[in-house]
Amino acid sequence: MAEVDVIVVGSGPSAVNAAYPLVEAGLRVTMLDVGNRDTTYEETIPEGPFSELRRTDEQQHRYLLGESFEGIAFGHAGAGAQLTPPRQYVARDAERLLPIVSGSFFPLQSLAEGGLGGGWGAGSPQFCEADLDGFPIRLTDLQPHYEAVAARIGISGAHDDLVPFLGDLQAMQPAVAIDSNGESILRRYQKRRAAANQAGLFLGHPRLAMLSQPLRGRSPTRYWDMDFWSDAGKSIYRPRWTVDELRGFPGFRFVGRRLVQSFTETADGGVIVAARDLDSGRIEELRARAVVLAAGTLGTARIVLRSFQLYGRRIPLVCNPHTYVAMLNANSLGKDARDARHSMAQLCVVHAPDGAQRRFTVGHVYSYRSLLLFRLMKYSPLPFREGMEMLRLLSPSFSVLILQHEDRPSPDKYCALARAGDGGEDRLEVEYALSPSDRAQHDAVETAVLRGLLRLRCVTLRRLHEGNAASTHFAGTFPMSEAPARDDDLTTDKHGRLRRARNVYIADGSVFPSLPSKGLTFTMMANADRIGCHLRTVLRPGSR
Amino acid sequence: MDSDALRREADAFCRYLVDAPPPDALIERYVRANDVLLTEAPSPGDQAVIDFACAHPRSIAMLDAGTALSGKAPLFRKKLLVMMAIVETTPAFVGQTEPRNASLPGLAARLGLSAARMAVNVAAGLALSTAIARRRRG
Ligand SMILES: Cc1cc2nc3c(=O)[nH]c(=O)nc-3n(C[C@H](O)[C@H](O)[C@H](O)COP(=O)(O)OP(=O)(O)OC[C@H]3O[C@@H](n4cnc5c(N)ncnc54)[C@H](O)[C@@H]3O)c2cc1C
Repeated sequence: MAEVDVIVVGSGPSAVNAAYPLVEAGLRVTMLDVGNRDTTYEETIPEGPFSELRRTDEQQHRYLLGESFEGIAFGHAGAGAQLTPPRQYVARDAERLLPIVSGSFFPLQSLAEGGLGGGWGAGSPQFCEADLDGFPIRLTDLQPHYEAVAARIGISGAHDDLVPFLGDLQAMQPAVAIDSNGESILRRYQKRRAAANQAGLFLGHPRLAMLSQPLRGRSPTRYWDMDFWSDAGKSIYRPRWTVDELRGFPGFRFVGRRLVQSFTETADGGVIVAARDLDSGRIEELRARAVVLAAGTLGTARIVLRSFQLYGRRIPLVCNPHTYVAMLNANSLGKDARDARHSMAQLCVVHAPDGAQRRFTVGHVYSYRSLLLFRLMKYSPLPFREGMEMLRLLSPSFSVLILQHEDRPSPDKYCALARAGDGGEDRLEVEYALSPSDRAQHDAVETAVLRGLLRLRCVTLRRLHEGNAASTHFAGTFPMSEAPARDDDLTTDKHGRLRRARNVYIADGSVFPSLPSKGLTFTMMANADRIGCHLRTVLRPGSR
Repeated sequence: MDSDALRREADAFCRYLVDAPPPDALIERYVRANDVLLTEAPSPGDQAVIDFACAHPRSIAMLDAGTALSGKAPLFRKKLLVMMAIVETTPAFVGQTEPRNASLPGLAARLGLSAARMAVNVAAGLALSTAIARRRRG
């Protein structure tokens, strides 16, 4: 059996950023992934601004509604609400091959090349020192890797009021422009900044993995408002762009259609990975000096628990609770809305009554433009004709605030692997319940934020809790810790090495002991880069 | 479901939403969308509302308003949603479906007018859907 230096499992944001420093150092790296891609829509979407395509493209229904009308689908949309037909490949096969049993947790999982990063919202705040409470690493450990990843993937943002909360980057590109709806809120905030800040409310540009300047063959955003539909120009970061770069290195090999089952360590220190070839059904074994697991928190949990035959063993799970708030922005009523805009978060809102030294709450404000009005009618108690007329008039002033709350482990949040009974796939059983005090705390924060936004003339229309897994920010299953290892210890050390193994590393959200009120993905990528950099010094002493 | 009946629905619902008959391609799209998305058999109450709407297209505005409020006839409303999605993704109707800018007085006037029309339609629609339900039962 031929041996490579490192096998990386997965091709999502964490996998590609762990692989990069290894491959760059000349190590032989094989990436194993199912690697689903969009084979239906990419070629059918013409290049051009959304508003122009709406007026001219007779075939728009094919991608806006989907070839099988999957864009209209009735029922609970949940975490996939942002996944338009051209993005739905991201979740293809996951329910079948990664089954979950739960009455309380319905996560979106991915078996795509690029993972959930094929459809993510690109919100990329850094963690600050308060966010790393309980982690065995400090901000100084992460900062060089934030810089390395920012230079690799492109992060845009502003040096505004949010720097103490979102961090600072030398490699940061200038902020992308905010749309007219968001601008009007920001103007109002700037006029009332002192009062807002006194109430603990801060507003500014979001950090986005979206380009405002060219980078590595990718173009800055063209403000076509097509970001939910198409990746033309590649201004939003997708992990696929990094896979394409990695393919240019001689030591890198991408092997798709492989569902990794388990690993075993050999007496001589190597690791053997067993993967099912999804076309032939055969189990293949591959050997490496070390393995990096980055199959997404839930995917990695399956692989680790199966490898140690720990069926039924409960491990912790955390996930940011999300609240969606539909708002009407009275500042922009009666004003013309610009068509030129990008589709992602326009503003970032921070609620920090105790400043940046204590944990605080972060939300993002989106405008509602390119997702079409009929989707709003699904949730509206209005008749269609008048409803459509009202939405046409009011939707340019709609904002959707997505607030995320921090999450910490508790005995009521866990997952466990259950053996497949019928020759099918092992099932991950998940239980997730927030305590009454968590809920009360979330409610208090939401009320304070919405009161602050009301003072900025943003009127709450509706608050929605889309279910426990809606944020798709999963973490905490094999937390990094300083604690000394016990024999059966399912934790990782500060370099992401699984304590129960010698040469198995974990680079995804699994290693975060808790989640602050922020998207974890940029930090996960920085941490994956940190783990990759550490591993290359282990495997190739002398390399930095 | 019978595709002639679906074609009649497509015609009636499109005229209701955008005051224009649907081109053939839209009718076919509506039929296909129904085949894919709305596979459940309609409840007798739903079917009665849909039949009445197709037989008396002028009643659709009222039935839509009445059922929006009462929550009855969910299939009828799903069908209207399907037609709205189809109309919204058709360039010929973009002038009737895309977001529009309006001055504050214009906005207030239009919203006021829509609200007034809606109030009348809700009252008439609730009465009409009750009458349809009674006729079906008795
Ligand atoms: C709509 C949406 C919006 C989001 N917006 C944001 C945002 O704005 N900011 C933010 O921080 N986060 C956001 N997220 C979350 C973000 O996408 C995830 O945190 C991130 O993708 C997780 O990366 P990962 O590498 O850990 O795993 P994933 O992205 O889940 O990738 C897992 C990879 O592992 C592979 N894999 C899994 N199991 C196996 C196996 N057994 N064998 C082989 N390969 C396997 C998959 O094919 C895939 O390539 C969003 C997610 C969604 C869905």
